[in-house]
Amino acid sequence: MTLSDMVALAFDNLRRTKLRTSLTTLGVVIGIGALTSMVSFGTGMQRNITDAFKQNDLFTSMFVTSRPIDLEKIASGEPGEMAEMFKGPVSSLTDSTVLALRAVDGVEIAFPEISFPVKVRIDSNVTTTTLRALPAAMGQFKPYDHPTFGSFFTDDSAQSVVISWDVLKDLKLLVSDRKHPASAEPGDTSGLRAVEADSVLGHPIQVVSVVLDPSRMAGSMLGLLRPAGPPVREVSTTFNVVGILKRTSPFSEDEMRGGILAPLRSAEAIPRLGFSSVFDLLGGRVERGAYSTIYVRVKRIGDAQIVRERIEKMGLHVFSFADQLKEIRRGFLVVDAILGAIGTIALVVAALGIANTMVMSILERTREIGIMKAIGGSEGEIKMIFFVEAAVIGVLGALLGLLLGWGVTRAANLVVNMKLLPEGEQAINLFYFPIWLILGAIGFAILVSLAAGLYPAFRAARIDPVEALRHD
Amino acid sequence: MQLVEIRDVSKFYERGKLKVKALEGVSFDVAQGDFVSIVGRSGSGKSTLLNLVGGLDRATSGCIAFAGKDLTEMSRSELALHRRFSVGMVFQSFNLIPHRTALENVILALTFGRVPRRERKAKAESLLSLVGLEHRMDHKPAELSGGEAQRVAIARALANGPVALLLDEPTGNLDSTTSQEIMGIIERLNSESGITVLMVTHEQDIARTFSDRIVHLKDGRVTEGAPA
Repeated sequence: MTLSDMVALAFDNLRRTKLRTSLTTLGVVIGIGALTSMVSFGTGMQRNITDAFKQNDLFTSMFVTSRPIDLEKIASGEPGEMAEMFKGPVSSLTDSTVLALRAVDGVEIAFPEISFPVKVRIDSNVTTTTLRALPAAMGQFKPYDHPTFGSFFTDDSAQSVVISWDVLKDLKLLVSDRKHPASAEPGDTSGLRAVEADSVLGHPIQVVSVVLDPSRMAGSMLGLLRPAGPPVREVSTTFNVVGILKRTSPFSEDEMRGGILAPLRSAEAIPRLGFSSVFDLLGGRVERGAYSTIYVRVKRIGDAQIVRERIEKMGLHVFSFADQLKEIRRGFLVVDAILGAIGTIALVVAALGIANTMVMSILERTREIGIMKAIGGSEGEIKMIFFVEAAVIGVLGALLGLLLGWGVTRAANLVVNMKLLPEGEQAINLFYFPIWLILGAIGFAILVSLAAGLYPAFRAARIDPVEALRHD
Repeated sequence: MQLVEIRDVSKFYERGKLKVKALEGVSFDVAQGDFVSIVGRSGSGKSTLLNLVGGLDRATSGCIAFAGKDLTEMSRSELALHRRFSVGMVFQSFNLIPHRTALENVILALTFGRVPRRERKAKAESLLSLVGLEHRMDHKPAELSGGEAQRVAIARALANGPVALLLDEPTGNLDSTTSQEIMGIIERLNSESGITVLMVTHEQDIARTFSDRIVHLKDGRVTEGAPA
């Protein structure tokens, strides 16, 4: 008896007990459906995060800091833990450090990280955001190479800025053009003024920064007793809007990029308070003429580790979000394992269903097994006939289960995007079905159903033909 | 030449703690082409003996040689091959698979016999024609008369070209006319094709009419008919 004969025989037998076969298969369908949708949720989350890292260039970016940065200590929120970070030697980051970093093999670009809070004013509308200084050379990389509207600045000393689409929205402007129509905007757009991108590009914008005002600090004793407000003063600088950037991924962080991007030299010239980035606040004061953070971008993702090691040899501290991804991935592994375990439980229950069905089937077909043995069926062949039957249930269940899992995740995704997503957010794909998941699920289902068929098949093969032929 | 040589065969069953004797010290031979009947009352051990020759069961002691090979020393898979190719068994209760048609029942035996798929149907049809059942091939056992069902069983037993037919009360469930028809087919197979027949029956008349030799069994022992 060849394998194809056994498969034909298995289908024949399963067809005869349609209801029972369908119910048993349904068990596997639900098991595989649960497993795949759970795991696809895990992989979907992981992919979304990884994509966000990629879109934000976090794999090629690293930050050279004057002090070691330990996110775990920051996240702990314990003052003692955080204070630990500020002990130890401080490496001074100056323009010569920037030049030295640019000379490191594998480094594409290096520049001091300067960002500070500003008020932005267009016409009479005002909002608060973060200004980030970028060299014009960053215009060759995503997403700066092609801003959604307009272009990136080309001169480090130009009075030009690239502004985030969302900041303009905060300024009550709904910017659109033919390619990005205002009508396509999700969420509530009431109270916003729809404008053509062309009318914003080239438009002057006021960037308002805050400086210490020594005059207000004079007569300090009296001022301290009856404070007339903080001892600061606002300074306004005028820029031209040359480009508008719109978020492409729901996970890309505006705060990471800054709501408004200004050329490096022009940004440095903006008067401001004595700290240049958030790391300054964490690291305490740094000496004048020094930076607390230098942004380094490597040429290739694969170079990141080796470049990092080269920089660390220079006695500098390097912080990279890619390192954090490793931690995040470890976290996902746990989530995946839990989700997978829940799905596996469903599949194991289904496997018990298969075993039960097969045992029932053998009890019913004892005489038939006896007859098959009497006409020359070997133990191996009879074992295989039942084995193949279990496998057929497994394969059918896996294929339909995948379909179910896919359908359920599509539906869930739709519901999440329609009902749960905050207004104005771009639709996201929560689930991901990579090819390894599809093939793995089929393979796992076959494996589990074969395991479930093992005992019944063995039992069928060892039936005593003389007894079986007497069986009713 | 002896096809079957049975030497001092005993068979005991364990029924709980009780040891039940089915056969004790049975010895006789069956020559190639012979038609031998084993006659005895119910419980005399004749079906047990037939099952031992058919390789469905194993003797507790003694040896049974079939075409020179000792069945008692064969592995389980060798016994399966013996049942498949060397002997064809026919039972009182026909033992057809109820959800398969006459043709499919014969085809199943051919499938075990590794007959190529495309040849199976034609071969099964010719086997069923041989037993005069060409008009009932697509009927299931429940739709066949006892005689017809037993013809299917004979066709199935012949599927893989056995040297011997082992018949266990083949007419036990049939009326006398049908019994005669069935026995006619078996006699023809024996005389024309030279197939060896070993038949178990309690009907002395049938045994006397059709067989060359009769072996009498009583309480698991041969009382008459064994070679001197």
